[in-house]
Amino acid sequence: MDYAVKLSFPSDPRYLGVVRGAVERFAALTGFDEEDCRWITLAVHEALTNVIRHAYHNQHDQPVELRLRERDEGMEVVMVDHGTGVKQEEMCGRELDDVRPGGLGLHMIREIMSETQYLPLEGRNELHLFKKRGSKTSVGE
Amino acid sequence: MNIVTRQQGNSTLVDVQGDIDLYNSPEVRKIILEELKEKKVARLIVNLTGVRYIDSSGVASLVEGLKVSRSMSSRFMLYGLSPAAREVLELSRLIRVFEVYGTEQEALQAK
Repeated sequence: MDYAVKLSFPSDPRYLGVVRGAVERFAALTGFDEEDCRWITLAVHEALTNVIRHAYHNQHDQPVELRLRERDEGMEVVMVDHGTGVKQEEMCGRELDDVRPGGLGLHMIREIMSETQYLPLEGRNELHLFKKRGSKTSVGE
Repeated sequence: MNIVTRQQGNSTLVDVQGDIDLYNSPEVRKIILEELKEKKVARLIVNLTGVRYIDSSGVASLVEGLKVSRSMSSRFMLYGLSPAAREVLELSRLIRVFEVYGTEQEALQAK
């Protein structure tokens, strides 16, 4: 099945709220409860801020594509950028016991989503995220 | 995003309204650090009642405020977290490092 929703927008943080709105509504449409909708939205938001900051180095006029679809009793998100790729071993996030700013986004994405796959490809990077219905996000310890 | 600072006794309150994300967290960070580093306030209380959404860059701004307050021997407190803001702080496991209160009165009266 093709993607039900495709969004193309520039890497400008002004559009973060627009993307959040679309993702949250799509998650609700797919059957997630209110809490899960918030979590999925946060994960996609954090992925997009990583693209803006790390792939595009805060350039605000670069292309980003977001694809959404329902599959296997869950929701799949693909984010595509054409910026600087990151090696898997460099995607480490931060130690949670280390109280300092930064490095939180990747941790949040991994905690929230059921599957996370990053593919640095020829000329583009793809981040594939999947959240299965019923897989709850645990907070705290 | 709207940010207002006001004085209540020996406490400085920062009222934040709007989402704290990559777009506007630099403004929140700037005001918090200005109060702590330049004005050297004794107690800084951040009112998050009007914040519906906060992301990792927003959390990072609060963590930086907390760390600077410790280095300046001042107090840094939060109150009025929405369920979404509380969830984000819990997910990042940082909720325990902050002084978090339910209401302005509780934050002002904290010993």
